[in-house]
Amino acid sequence: MTEHPQPAAFHTRVDSALADAALHAALSLTTGRLASGRASAFASLPGADGIRDAARAIRAHTVSRLDHYLTEFTAAAELRGCRVHWAETAADAARTVVGIARASGVSLAVKSKSMLSEEIALNHALDEAGIRVVETDLGEFVVQIAGDRPSHIIAPIVHRSRADVARLFKNTLGAGDDEVASIPAMTAFARKTLRSEFLRAGMGISGVNLAVAESGSLCLVTNEGNGRLTTTLPRVHVALLGLERLVPTAADLGVILQLLARSATGQAMPVYTNVITGPRRKSAGPEPGEPDGPDEVHVVIVDNGRSKLLGSELAEILYCVRCGACLNVCPVYREIGGHAYGGVYPGPVGSVVMPGLEGLERWHDLPNASTLCGACRDVCPVRIDLPHLLLKLRAQEAREGIGPWWLRLGIRVFTAAALRPRLYRVLGNLAGRLSAGLTRNGWFTWMPGHFGRWTESRDFPAPAAKSFTDTWRGARERGKERS
Amino acid sequence: MSSARDRILASIRSGLPHAELPGATEARPVLPPAPAAAAPNDLSALFEAALTALTGTVHHAATPAAVAHAVASIAASCGAGTYLAWDEAEIGCPGLFEALTARGLRRVTYDLPFDAGGRDAGVRALEDVGLGITGADAGLADGGALVLASGPGRGRLASLLPPVHVAILSASKLIPSLPALLAARPDLVGRGSNFVAIAGPSRTADIEMTLTHGVHGPKHVHVILTA
Repeated sequence: MTEHPQPAAFHTRVDSALADAALHAALSLTTGRLASGRASAFASLPGADGIRDAARAIRAHTVSRLDHYLTEFTAAAELRGCRVHWAETAADAARTVVGIARASGVSLAVKSKSMLSEEIALNHALDEAGIRVVETDLGEFVVQIAGDRPSHIIAPIVHRSRADVARLFKNTLGAGDDEVASIPAMTAFARKTLRSEFLRAGMGISGVNLAVAESGSLCLVTNEGNGRLTTTLPRVHVALLGLERLVPTAADLGVILQLLARSATGQAMPVYTNVITGPRRKSAGPEPGEPDGPDEVHVVIVDNGRSKLLGSELAEILYCVRCGACLNVCPVYREIGGHAYGGVYPGPVGSVVMPGLEGLERWHDLPNASTLCGACRDVCPVRIDLPHLLLKLRAQEAREGIGPWWLRLGIRVFTAAALRPRLYRVLGNLAGRLSAGLTRNGWFTWMPGHFGRWTESRDFPAPAAKSFTDTWRGARERGKERS
Repeated sequence: MSSARDRILASIRSGLPHAELPGATEARPVLPPAPAAAAPNDLSALFEAALTALTGTVHHAATPAAVAHAVASIAASCGAGTYLAWDEAEIGCPGLFEALTARGLRRVTYDLPFDAGGRDAGVRALEDVGLGITGADAGLADGGALVLASGPGRGRLASLLPPVHVAILSASKLIPSLPALLAARPDLVGRGSNFVAIAGPSRTADIEMTLTHGVHGPKHVHVILTA
């Protein structure tokens, strides 16, 4: 596992994704099924619109009082015996987990799927410290043995075929032909391989879908059951919590859980809705204790740019519950897949989160990788206005002069003209006449010189032969003649 | 020097006045009403239909003897000779263990020690157990799910480690949905260190969207509904 590589130029990544026919077939199968599954799951939920309104209100309220709920959560979790750690940066968070592992003498850790652990490059940090970490979600396990990165928030190996997985299991794990003969056979092989890791691991590492402030509980949903094994078998459980992922009470959790799996996979409920409140209870006097569960539960609350994002015009993205629904309906994600985005979080949500957490300087291409069609906003369980946030980032890009010079120049020329009505009219008419020979069906598919940088990746609308102002004036004059 | 906690909370407090948070209200939002309760018979039919759709199996048993018979048949059909279980009082089916012993089934008991070495050995001793038997604190009709709260005599591993899980659920514990349960019984969440809702057998679709059961948790989930 490597640390996040410096991504290749965005357009290079997009070009290679678009050229990959196998990727394209896999993407349309997966995103198509997940999107239609979501649609039918919502169609069968009575009062779905009202539940989404309530979920949005819960998340908005919680984020608006985040300091209060974090304090309440911490006190309740500590009362139940959790140890709560705070990490300002990704490096701090990874260091904290390594420190917990060292203090407990852990040499093997199992991990259930956590995007936050990807964000803080935890596997790399554990490797460096000589602690072996094994991914246990089937998809993430494949990602790990392939030295790859997940390409979807909830379907990490959407970009890999069954033949890929079979080859990996044979070459890296010594699986026999019969063990990779079918998908159920490969699944059984993974179960057997991972079960022995679960039984020996000293530490389990998980993310948290949502934490309950009132009770200090951690909710984790999985379908495979690896989340339960990770948080039950090893002696020490470490949970990574993004600092915004809270709800006030268990009743609020119930509202959002109705939407989470429906949005992610189209299931009414995930197979396992696992809620953890502290380490296992010890016996007290004559009362016996719990026979299993971890002796220690550590919660690492991770900031890594979130508190700064909160104080910005992008704060609404902190309502997100990471269901991945916006990926499956995005016409851009469906063409290029997750890796082309270059960051930990892909798709429309990633195009706001990555620049929000790590700065627009590095990620300015992402807000532009959107058609602003609004499909993401329509499916978001908490109704985040993603197109609006993407537009704010584009405005910021223009304001701060971050984009490429030719684009900034183009925007400056347009601004100058648009602010001077007479000039605009003259230039508009001129452009309409001059462009007539260069366009096809109302679009430039080619432009000369540096303007060609635009048409390399998309067409540019041709100006109308007759401007709106002229059309309007003509219509008014015809109206006057009639009266 | 201030702590990371103080600095993070200070950063949040300095950000909040400038945060654009559409839809945020000062007061906690009013939650939508939980779905209305259906008649008991409807709940039972809904539960059975939902769990069956998830490839789980529902059995009906009127007496403790019938429960024991059903559990023994399941054990026989999957070739299990040993089982992990909640304590009999927690399952709420007196005489169950005795009846299973009479049919040649052996209960594996455990209480993991609080030292790392002893714990490892204790966990490994459970590796090959064939069946897990639990009660249930609630059944969720809309999702076909079982709700289990951990506690003394209510280990988590019985519903997790063996390839087959049998839960004995009283029909009186059926309720419409998880939000209805969490609204009505928020205390249940923190009663033990673990609260879990289990909707059918473990599953994955990570490889080519092909649904496969039993990846980490039990491949088979049986619920014995008692009157």
